[in-house]
Amino acid sequence: MNVMYTEALTINFGGLKAVDAVDFNIKDEVIGLLGPNGSGKTTFLNLVSGIYKPTSGRIMFEQSDITGVGPNVVRKKGIARTFQTNRLCLDLSIIDNLLLGLYSQQTATWWQAIFQPKRCSRELSQGIDKCLEILHHFNPALVSRAYEPINAIPLIDRRRIEIARSIVGSPRLLLLDEPTAGLNAEETSQIISDIGKIRNGNQKISMIIIEHDMVVISSICHRVVVLNAGKKIADDCFDEVCKNEQVCKAYLGG
Amino acid sequence: MFSKNSVLALLVSVVGCALLYIALEGSILVALAVLVLALGLMVVGERTGKVDLVCRSVSDHKRISLAVVSVFILILPFMISNNYLLHVAVMGGIYSIVTLGLNFQIGTGMVNFATAAFFGTGAYTSALMATKFGLSPWLTTILGMVSAASLGILFGFPALKTRGYYLSLITMSLQVIFTLMIINTSWLGGPNGVPGVPAYSIGDVSLRMPLAIFGLDLPYQANYLYLVFILLGLTVFAALCLHNSRTGLAWNSIEQDEIVAITQGINLTKMKLLAFALGAAFAGLAGGLYGHYTSFIGVEDFTFSKSLVFICMVLLGGIDNPFGVVLGALMLTIVDEKLRDFADYRMLMYSLILIVILLLRPQGLLPKRIRQYQAANKMREAKAWFSLKGERSSP
Repeated sequence: MNVMYTEALTINFGGLKAVDAVDFNIKDEVIGLLGPNGSGKTTFLNLVSGIYKPTSGRIMFEQSDITGVGPNVVRKKGIARTFQTNRLCLDLSIIDNLLLGLYSQQTATWWQAIFQPKRCSRELSQGIDKCLEILHHFNPALVSRAYEPINAIPLIDRRRIEIARSIVGSPRLLLLDEPTAGLNAEETSQIISDIGKIRNGNQKISMIIIEHDMVVISSICHRVVVLNAGKKIADDCFDEVCKNEQVCKAYLGG
Repeated sequence: MFSKNSVLALLVSVVGCALLYIALEGSILVALAVLVLALGLMVVGERTGKVDLVCRSVSDHKRISLAVVSVFILILPFMISNNYLLHVAVMGGIYSIVTLGLNFQIGTGMVNFATAAFFGTGAYTSALMATKFGLSPWLTTILGMVSAASLGILFGFPALKTRGYYLSLITMSLQVIFTLMIINTSWLGGPNGVPGVPAYSIGDVSLRMPLAIFGLDLPYQANYLYLVFILLGLTVFAALCLHNSRTGLAWNSIEQDEIVAITQGINLTKMKLLAFALGAAFAGLAGGLYGHYTSFIGVEDFTFSKSLVFICMVLLGGIDNPFGVVLGALMLTIVDEKLRDFADYRMLMYSLILIVILLLRPQGLLPKRIRQYQAANKMREAKAWFSLKGERSSP
């Protein structure tokens, strides 16, 4: 049963086909998205998360067509994402950033905030509990710093907070855009074990990960999809993809 | 019963009120000295970390601070030496309501240069409905709020296609259109304004009658002082509720990074329109109050330069801190009125003071703070719970 699939997904930027007729599907699994620089990996994630509208093709998520709907609707339906460069609200505290991840799950309106403060504070404190639990799961040391602004937090923890923000709202599909970019080897292995923990928990989360580190890919991905110049050139388990002639050519030239 | 923190909250509230009173009563030099003193205290407080303690005490003992401020407002008409100063206090309250509304928009990253137009929409709607159709001023004030909010939404739709500087430019043009439209429409009073705006009345008693309490005759401004500050209290409460809610968080995240906001499920158009509509409603309420208080409104009260003053109040007070913007509005109203002594050089002095303050303290008198949810106490419990859990799971 597919969680999400695309049919002939295409986007043109002027004359450039950044993503070109890509058929993609994901079940309850972790998929590594590979490809040389400029092959359209991030563009693909931007299409799925609704930031770009496709020129043609279709995106289906849990039996409903989400082609061309806005990123906020996509998030409400259950697709969350992180960004390649850290995108947290720097002036806000850790807890506020995590609460943002719960925004799509909460329902209190501005009217209720003023006229039914009891109801809202109940929802808020439930949200805070949930955020602290996730935070504790990722790094217990951060719980006591929950009310500090992101400005004061080191990079690795910011990355953790961003991942925590994307899963606190229990999405069905998680898109991770280079979660280990800019981290050293030790930090990379920490982040990867954190990501592994998400799957090991009882949450059913499918994931698409863009990653350049082959060790990481081979250790956590069930399947690998390779893009080159916007086209899908391989879709198989890691070992098979390594033997694929087209993939070797795309990566190594010749 | 009387913990150290509650005494501190009491002390801070009393000192704050006393400083405001001294600034209001004293000459321009005294008012400026108070401003400098307040700034100095803030800076020292921040360096030594005392500010956090003070904020925590006040937020833990809201009732004490609220009581002190209420008593201060209640006895202000008795302490004050002349009616004019009371008028300044009323205007400070009215402008505070406007800036609280503007703060929603600036906190969402939209610097709105048309606040005076929304303020004017409320004032004109309310005044015209009351003078031309004889409706009750209470009702017309609500209509003023509604019409200002509607204008905010109507105007927001095309304006929100743009952002940043371009949005500000569009709001400027709305402000200019508003002023010109009033001047050129004779039904709206044109350049002559709307005279004879009726006052509020409770039963048969008009608020423009002197207030007699305990055999003392208080000037009619005292009625309005009480009315305006009750409404200011309610609007501050509403602004605080919004600030600490999911709505306020969404506004802040839009200001920080629109892409992050939208990928967390926030509908940018809806939230920006909400900030516009609510901000305009606050301005409309204040406009209605203003018309029925002064009994005359003219277009010169709602010009572009007034919009700039409102923005300055928010910047000086501290963006995104409801208490800060109220303080900024009160201080700037007082300073502005004191500067009347300088006659022709008034605006020059005003600008100089603003420049100096913003150079020395760009973040404002009371800068925005990290949200401390009421669940702060709960967090300490949570920490204890987690450490317990950690001990149990470790071998």
